[in-house]
Order: sequence, then C-alpha cells, then structure tokens
Amino acid sequence: MKYGILKRGAGILLSAVLILGSLAGCGKTDNGAVGNEGNSQTGEKVEEGGEQALGRFLEEDVTLPIVFSSIYDMRKLEDGTIRIIGKNADDGKETVWDSKDSGVNWEKAFDAPGELQDEENGYIDYAALSLDGQSVWVYNRIAEGGIKPILYLVSSEGSIGQIPFELPAAEQSGQGSAQSFSTNVSADEKEGEEGAGDNVMNRSDVKNLILDICFLGADQIMVTDMTDKIFQISISDGSVKQTYDFNGMEDTHQVFTAGKKMLVVTSTEVLVYDTETGEQQQAEEALQQSVAESGFFHAVDSMDAGESIYYLTGKGLFHYKFGGSVMEQLIDGSMNTLGSPAFYPGALTMIDEQNLLIAANDANSEVGDGMVLLRYTWSKDTPAKPDKELKVYSLYNNRELRQAVSSFQKDHPDVYVNYQVALSEENGTTVSDALKTLTTEIMAGKGPDLILLDGMPVNTYIEKGILKDMSPILADKSNYFENILTAYQDAQGQLCAIPARFMIPAAQGGSANYTPGEDFDTFTAKQGILANTDPEAIVERFWYSCGAAWQKEDKTLDAGKITEFLSKLKNAYGEYDSSAVDEEVYQSISQGGAVNELHKVSLSWGDFDLAFGRIKVSTGLFGRMDYGMMNSVNEKLGGGDYGLMPGQAKQVFVPAMILGISSKAAQPETAEEFAGYLLSSEAQKVSQFGGFPVEKEAFKSVLDGHEYADKERLVGVAGGGSDIDEILDYALIPTPEEEIQKLTNLAESLTTPALQDDVIKAAVVEQGTKVLKGELSPEEGTDAIMQKVNIYLAE
Amino acid sequence: MHGTVKKFAKWQGFLWILPSFLGVMVFYLLPYADVVRRSFLGAVDNRFVGLANYRTIMENPAFLLAVKNTLRFTALCIPLLILLALACAVILYRSKYGGFIKSAFLMPMALPAVSVALVWRLLFHSQGLLNHWLSQFKASEQDWMNTSSAFWILVISYIWKNLGYDIVLWMAGLAGISENIYEAAKVDGAGEWQCFWKITLPNLKPSLYTITVLSFLNSFKVFREAYLVAGDYPHESIYMMQHLFNNWFRSFSFDKMAAAAVTESILLLGLILLLQKAWDGGNEDGRKSI
Repeated sequence: MKYGILKRGAGILLSAVLILGSLAGCGKTDNGAVGNEGNSQTGEKVEEGGEQALGRFLEEDVTLPIVFSSIYDMRKLEDGTIRIIGKNADDGKETVWDSKDSGVNWEKAFDAPGELQDEENGYIDYAALSLDGQSVWVYNRIAEGGIKPILYLVSSEGSIGQIPFELPAAEQSGQGSAQSFSTNVSADEKEGEEGAGDNVMNRSDVKNLILDICFLGADQIMVTDMTDKIFQISISDGSVKQTYDFNGMEDTHQVFTAGKKMLVVTSTEVLVYDTETGEQQQAEEALQQSVAESGFFHAVDSMDAGESIYYLTGKGLFHYKFGGSVMEQLIDGSMNTLGSPAFYPGALTMIDEQNLLIAANDANSEVGDGMVLLRYTWSKDTPAKPDKELKVYSLYNNRELRQAVSSFQKDHPDVYVNYQVALSEENGTTVSDALKTLTTEIMAGKGPDLILLDGMPVNTYIEKGILKDMSPILADKSNYFENILTAYQDAQGQLCAIPARFMIPAAQGGSANYTPGEDFDTFTAKQGILANTDPEAIVERFWYSCGAAWQKEDKTLDAGKITEFLSKLKNAYGEYDSSAVDEEVYQSISQGGAVNELHKVSLSWGDFDLAFGRIKVSTGLFGRMDYGMMNSVNEKLGGGDYGLMPGQAKQVFVPAMILGISSKAAQPETAEEFAGYLLSSEAQKVSQFGGFPVEKEAFKSVLDGHEYADKERLVGVAGGGSDIDEILDYALIPTPEEEIQKLTNLAESLTTPALQDDVIKAAVVEQGTKVLKGELSPEEGTDAIMQKVNIYLAE
Repeated sequence: MHGTVKKFAKWQGFLWILPSFLGVMVFYLLPYADVVRRSFLGAVDNRFVGLANYRTIMENPAFLLAVKNTLRFTALCIPLLILLALACAVILYRSKYGGFIKSAFLMPMALPAVSVALVWRLLFHSQGLLNHWLSQFKASEQDWMNTSSAFWILVISYIWKNLGYDIVLWMAGLAGISENIYEAAKVDGAGEWQCFWKITLPNLKPSLYTITVLSFLNSFKVFREAYLVAGDYPHESIYMMQHLFNNWFRSFSFDKMAAAAVTESILLLGLILLLQKAWDGGNEDGRKSI
C-alpha cells in the first residue's frame, strides 16, 4: 500500500512535469531574452506595440581629393581633424591630407619628405598615424646586401627624423615564414613595389622585414616582423620596451592597439596584452566568440582610450567593451558594401558614435586603383531592416553575385537581399540534400525569389514550371551575346533561365602539339598529348566539350559516342603515371590548400605546367582572360596559341551564373529588378573568375586591361607552385585590339550549350577516371556509366 | 439517469482512443488523403490529370526496377531472417550462455547507420579492405558496390543488423511455452525433433505474425545504409523504392510520387491483410484441433 501511494505520487509528479515542460516549449521566444544576439546586434530600437524597429547606419561614398593608389592609415586626430596618409596614384608621391569637416572637404597637409619619396633605392611598405598627427613610415631600402627596413618618424607638420631601431635578422626558426613571404612578395605585392619592379629578390636577399606597424599612444609603436615577433618601441630613442614572440603560432596574426592594450588577432582568437607590463590579459570570452563567428578583424578603432573597441570584419561593424559579456553588432555587412567579397577595409575612423569613415580597397571600384572612402551615418528614422526581403539562393558561393548584392542594396535601401548559399565547407551538406531542402521550401511557399541555377537540373525545373518567364526584362538583346543569352529559350520564346555569364572550353599549346580549331579525332589521335595531368580533371574538362553530342532526341545517351569518347581520350592520355599526377596535386595544395573545383578545371590552371614543359597542351574552361600571362606562356612556347577545346560537340560554351525567378516568388517584381541589374553593364563588369559577361560592353571591359593603361612599365613576376624558382615574367599591358576581337568572334561563334547535368557528369567523371587510369576498358566504363545514367534518365 | 450512464458507458471506449485517433488522423490519414488527391493532379500546377500519373509510373522503367528490387529483397530476406533467427533462438534458449549471446546479437542494432555505412565503404570499396585481403590470396579484386554483389551485401547487412532483434522476439515466444507440455510429451516418448515440430512450432505461430510484420517494416530501413554508401544512384541491383522517391522529390515529381505511394500502399495493405487472414485461419485451425 505504501509503495502504491509512492508510485502514484511519482506518476502524478512526472505527468505534471511533462505537461508543464511541453507548455513551456510552446511559449514564444522573447527576442529580448536573446539580447545582444537579437535586437542590439544591429543597434536597432524596437518600438513599443510591436511596430517596425527603426534605426540603421546608412552608407555613402565620400569623394577623395585625389586618386590614391594606397591609403596606409586614417585617423581622427585630437583636434577633430581627419587625417589620411597614402600614395597619390597620379604622381606616385606619398602624401598627407586633412579634413576639418569630417571628410566633406579635404586639403593637403603636406607631401611626405624627400627621404620617403626615393623610389630609386627603395619603397614605402607601411605607414601609421598617431592621434596627435605624427606618422611612422616603413621604408624598405634596397641595397647590395638586400632589403633593409628603415623607420622614419614624420611630425604632424611634416618634418622627418629616423627612428634609431635596427630590426634583428631573422633567426633560423623563422625560415618557414621567410620562404612563404618571399614568394608572396614576388607574386602578390608587386604593385607595392613599383620602384623595385625590376629587382627580382632571392630568398637570401631578405634578412628580415616589417610586416605591420601601428602606434601605441603618441610615443611608442608596435612593429611586427616576419619571424612572428612584435617589438614595442619608443619613437624617441628606438629602444625596445617589450618583445612579444609568437614564433610557432599556427595562424597569421594582425596587431591593433587600443589605449594601453595591444590586440593580437588571428582568424580564430584575440589575445589581449597590457603593454605596460607586457603580460597577456585574461581571455575575453565574448570577444573570442565574436572572432569565431565573424572572422578576422580588418580594422580597429577606439573612442575611449581603449575602454572599448570598434572593429570591422567581413560581417560588419562591431562594438565591444572590455570586461563585458557581449559584443554589439552596429552594422550588418550583408546590407551594404562591407559584406562584399572584393572589399578590403584598411582603416576605420569613428568620428563619433553615429558617424564613421572606412577607407578600403574595393577591387571592383572604377576609381583609380580601387581605394575608396565610405561614410556610415546613423539614421534613426530608417527601418533597421529594409521593408522588402528578396531571397536569393545558390548552391555554391558566387562572388560576382555577392558583389552585386552589395551594389544593388546601396541603390535600393528599401530592399534587403538575403543571399543564401546552400553548400559550404562548414555545413557539409550534399547537393542532393540541398536540392531536397530547396524543393520543400519552394513548395511550402517559403522558397527563394531568385535562384542561381548553377549545378541544378535546370531543364527539369523549366519543365516542371518552377521558373518564371524572364523575357520581359530583356526587351533589347542587341547588347548581349544572344547565342549565349538564349541557351534555355523554349519553343514559345520563353526565357525561364538566363546565363548571365559563360565560359569557353578551350585549349592552349605550342604549334607542334595543338592547332586552334582542330577536331577531336585529330587531336586525340596524338598519343600521350594529354599525359601528366590529373585524369579526373581531364575527363571533367573534356566532358564539357563532348557531353552535348551524346544526348539523343529522346534525351537518352548514345552509348556508342561515350565509348568513342573514352577510347579516344585514353589514347590521348596514354599510360597513367601516378608520380606526375601526385606532383600536380602537391602543387594544388601548395597553392592554397582547398582548391576551388572550378579553378581546377580552368584553362589557367595549366599555365606553369605548359610553360615549363610538364604538359604538352593545357585544356580547361576559359572564363577570364589574363592577357599578360597567356601571352607570356605563348611566347615561352614559341608560337603558342589558344582556341576552342577539341570535342565531339562543336562550338560549345558553358552557361554560368544561370538566373531563374521562382514561379512561387514572394517578391517577383523585385526579383526581376535584381535579375535586370545582374544583367546590366555595371554588374556584368565585376569579374571574379565566374565567367565572361554576357553583355558585350562589359565583356570588352573585362578583357581590355584598361586598368593597365599608362602603367605599362609594371612587370609582374609569378612564382610557380611547388618550385618557386620557376618564374614567368609578363607585362601588365592593355590587351591589344586584335586579341579582343579574336575572343569576341570566338564568343559570337558559340552555338551549343554544354550538357549541364551533375548526375551524368559525376558518373562520367568517376568511370572515365578509371578508364584513363587503366582500371577499366572504355567499353566497361561505358557500361557502368549507362547503368547509372539509364536509371536517372528513366526517372 | 440510468440511460445517460448507459450512453456514457457506450461511448466511453471511443473517448479513450480519441487522443490516439486524433493523432493518427492528423499525422497519417489526412496527409494520406492529400497524397491520394495529388495522385490525380499535376506536379506543381495542380491541374486534374485523371489516371495519367498512374499510367506514367506503370510505364516508368525506374519505378518498375525499384518495385522489382524491393520485392526481390523482401521475398528473399524476410524468410531467411525469420528462419535463421528461429534456429538461433532455439539453440540459444537451451544454452546457459543464451542471455549473454542474445545481447551480443543485439549489438548491430545499437550501431548508427552512418557508422555502418563507413565500415561498408572501408570494406567494399574498390581499394578497400576486402579487396586487400583478397589480393593476399591472389583472388580477383572488384568494385563490390558497383556490381551485382551489392545486392548480396545489402542482404547480409540486413540480416546481420536485424537477426538479434528477431532472436529476442522468438525467445520471448519460446519462453511462453510451458515446460509441462515438453515434459508430458517426453513421458509419452517424443524425441527432440518431434517436440520441436509438434509443440514448439505450433506454439510459436502467434509470434510469427508479429515477427514477420516487424521484419517487413525493418526491411525498409535498409535504404539508409544503401543511400549512405552508394548515394542517390547506386548499382541497379540495390536501387529501391526509397531511392526513387528520394530522387523524385528532388526533381519536383510530386505527381509520380503520389501515384507510386498510393500504389505501394494498396499493395502493402493487401499483403498485410493476406498475412493476417492466413494467421487468423491458422489460429482457428489451432483452436479447432484443441
């Protein structure tokens, strides 16, 4: 009896807990409870009564007084003046400019003294400003013994003095860094080394270099060298107050100062140091979490002597008070230029809590060398989030689209473009899973308005009526490559999918091995012409130029043509040599870890192998012309040339950035407007490896190399992957008119869209690779392909 | 007053099942009704197409292949599993280590499908462990998951995973048979085989229905492993109904999916009813003989 009561009691208690628990779960989440994750993130203020939240920073361009080729630093001085130090793009002079009215009007304070303008013997690498207007400059002097960095201090009025500091030579342990740095110097830093352009440096010439510099207060500077050491130096006598050694740290790091604090930021954490004691302070949990979520800091500023900091990341502007438990997002980067992939902020200046300036390098800016100045102003009456939300979806991240999102939002402050990318390295989603989720969302009426159809079954979507006719947005097609634009036009003239860009399957080689225009039979009859390349990449590249010829009228595949494809490709490939391919894979890893799949099948991927004789012919997708490099390879080959990739199909192009508007779109008009913008000359001129623009003016603009006009003396030097002693010199010059015309004619001649079906492609690449490796005969390979593809096509 | 109580008593049973019935209604019956409705409509535009979807799937080679493979798999695996589990259960029931070994047989059920799939990949890949072992004996290597061997790998995997569960069910059935019957039979001179044939098997008949239905339902779960190892388009011998539904869903073929689902459900319902009828018939015969 006793136990019976106990049992009942326990039962009733358990039931009560379950009921209460389930009721609690039904309650609405209070946004306020999330606090800083929610409302305060965008600095918005939610009005009572559930009305729309108001308040947002609005972005506007600030006209700079001159065209800068570099902006080294920008600061708000103690007297309220905004000061910029940079390089004048017109005359190459280092110069200092002031604005007394928060960036509206600018006047030159002075040109940097002569010691800093000596381009014959060296170049300026870095410079930084203090709050009292002084500046410190890193001048790399090139002499017999190599490069020697010298620190110059320039007073707020322009008088110069040298800081007596000698950078210690790199120790043995720092060799790893030294190697990678010297490679970077030759490959990426070429523009910063105009004066040294003709001096090709060897590793032995570089003893040690300064990689970063910033002021600590008005009397000290922080200097980072290439051995991962940070020196805290007094500017008056050059004495080292503290040395912070980060040798062995896995990640590259950047140094910022705020008051008496030094922040060492990597892509995963922030270390805070007290510069008076040199001791590391306790980790700030909220700040660490912010880095984990938002990524690397681009720029930092403080308005209260280091009590709190404002910092910029790719996700926007954040504010953090030291010792606090939260970080506050003030600007959401996805709503403006801050989220653009080609936007690299260099300096952040908080004018006050409601106004700020950002100096940045915007690779897609039409201005000079891309240095821009943006002002962000708090507008209390503007909705925190724009009224209209346009959902844009793609399987893979598209940099051109991301750039266009930023530009479009700038012109349409009432539209928030929510760009969702289904596949990323972090989420591990498969294409199939992503497409199923997309199907669910579309059918539930919560799907995207605009879809980037790359990698999706475009024809199936058109057949099922998922996509809306887009022909009304293209009334005049005369400015476009109509042959490309109408790749998905149906019999009724409807355009349910439009390629905004395209790539050309192309080949490049010396005259002994490749003749532009030769057919597939002639090309593949040359045994071993494709030897020493990754078999998987070869099959994938030739899939583009051949796949379209396999499809019969009933949409099934012609097994005979697939066998022919595999047989001939095997002949052209010859015997599989794993050691040669391993070298190529090693090279891909050394060139930056995870290799973009599209990049791997690009024509330029084989530049160095072709130029240095490891392969006879380079094949791949041609979607961006780097004339200087291509010309250099052709010259090295002695009469090399490029043309269409030989294939079973003729005049093939690969549609890219394929736009489609969902027939169930919630914002169809805005989606059409955005699609129209993506096809406009302005958006089309943005080129980041995503293919040639389909708009003719933009096509010419991305080819002509206008950015090199009047700068023909620049010479680029590139290191080649695993062997950094392989160097290709090439001139950065505008593309000759006949070359532009040649490619334009080639583009206009294209008539056949490549077969865009990832399921068939995956089967062909998988089995084709086995055939090239000799594991299967071409007939066995075809059987395996047909077995999989037949089920797919039968569905 | 008496009438009201009587009325309440009459509806009392219905009230008890009401919450469950509502759940079934909301989560099964209404969605199923919607599937039936959609089987007569177009995929996205929802226009009425009559029986066109049914005609389409009946002419669809992928559907026919999936039905054939699913039936082949079920027809082979379920009898095999039931018989093997019965044999193991009888042996284990008599063994003094039966309890411990039974738990060991249940281990595969505790393994996540993803882990199983990973082990498969390691074992059956063209450059996997099995080929490595075979190469030690100079045997020919092959890409197991891309040949007809894939079907047998799936069969073995299904049996390996579900054997323990069925053994437990059979052992529960065996425990329900009174020892007195065996003792009485042995007194009458019956041997081991006669005891098994005349006592054990007839008394396990009620368990057979449950075990068959559960094994049948578990056979559908084998898709997870097949999908995780070979993806959307595995070798044609292991292309199952779930692969087809999965791929149709991705390509917005809701019309074909609905028609195929209705067809499959009718087929399954028919099979289960036949099984139930056979079971009921068996029980009645049993009762008559008693």
